[in-house]
Amino acid sequence: MVPPEAAIAALVGHAFPGGTYRIAHWENFLLTEATGSAPLPEGLAHPAHLFHVPIAGAGTTIAELFELAQAGSDSSVTIDYYDWEYFAPLREDVAYTARGGITEHARRPAGEAGAVVDSLTYRIELFDEAGTRAARASFRWHFWRLEA
Amino acid sequence: MMAKPGDEIPSWTMERVTAERMRTVAAILRDPNPVHWDRDYVAARGAGPRTINQSPINVSYVANMLMAWAGPGSIRRLRVGFPGAVFEEETVVARGVVHAIEREGSETFAECEVWLEKTDGTRAVEGSARVALPSE
Repeated sequence: MVPPEAAIAALVGHAFPGGTYRIAHWENFLLTEATGSAPLPEGLAHPAHLFHVPIAGAGTTIAELFELAQAGSDSSVTIDYYDWEYFAPLREDVAYTARGGITEHARRPAGEAGAVVDSLTYRIELFDEAGTRAARASFRWHFWRLEA
Repeated sequence: MMAKPGDEIPSWTMERVTAERMRTVAAILRDPNPVHWDRDYVAARGAGPRTINQSPINVSYVANMLMAWAGPGSIRRLRVGFPGAVFEEETVVARGVVHAIEREGSETFAECEVWLEKTDGTRAVEGSARVALPSE
């Protein structure tokens, strides 16, 4: 089932609820270990946190993002790019405020008759407890609609 | 730290991507996609018998390379795409090359091409990075 293009295009401008996220020491320890890195010094959080911290901090989840875009299945979603910007290193135990939403949409044919792919771009910024911008995560996911 | 265009960044190797780590990461990321923890789900979609590593973790290997080179907290930007997938039990190597050096005030930055290479020579991650270099 291919959702109407207008319904997906209307997601541009959608703002996530927003909120805060604090990277706990245990979480940083486990994620850092999973990357194969030794623990980082002085409460530094691994840069890979800039995937899930903005999403969770903005008050949403990967599952909700899939649902919002009317993904046909988990395996129908692929990643175009991540653009992670660090204005300061991420740290444990800082209450980061997250704000962002959906910024772009494009639809194009996907090769098979009637099949399309919707590409949605997301942008979420993190601010530290002083209100200073700490990081920005931009990413684009492709939603393949193959069941025309 | 001295660096110049054309310098190769010392590579960083993940010797063995494991299903156990993927499960840990799935829980931390709240990533419900079964391709990261259900071999049968992956096989049913014709992708073979092994689970697929999370893309942020593929990027993290590149980050580990950059931090080992320029120090923790040195990464200012990572922009990457994903031309391939990494499966459990694979070995992957993060590599990079400096293509420009920029100075802003008292800070020096390296603009780098970065990628994650599989044993067959194909790339699972490729893109660019901006890294603050430690002062000499």
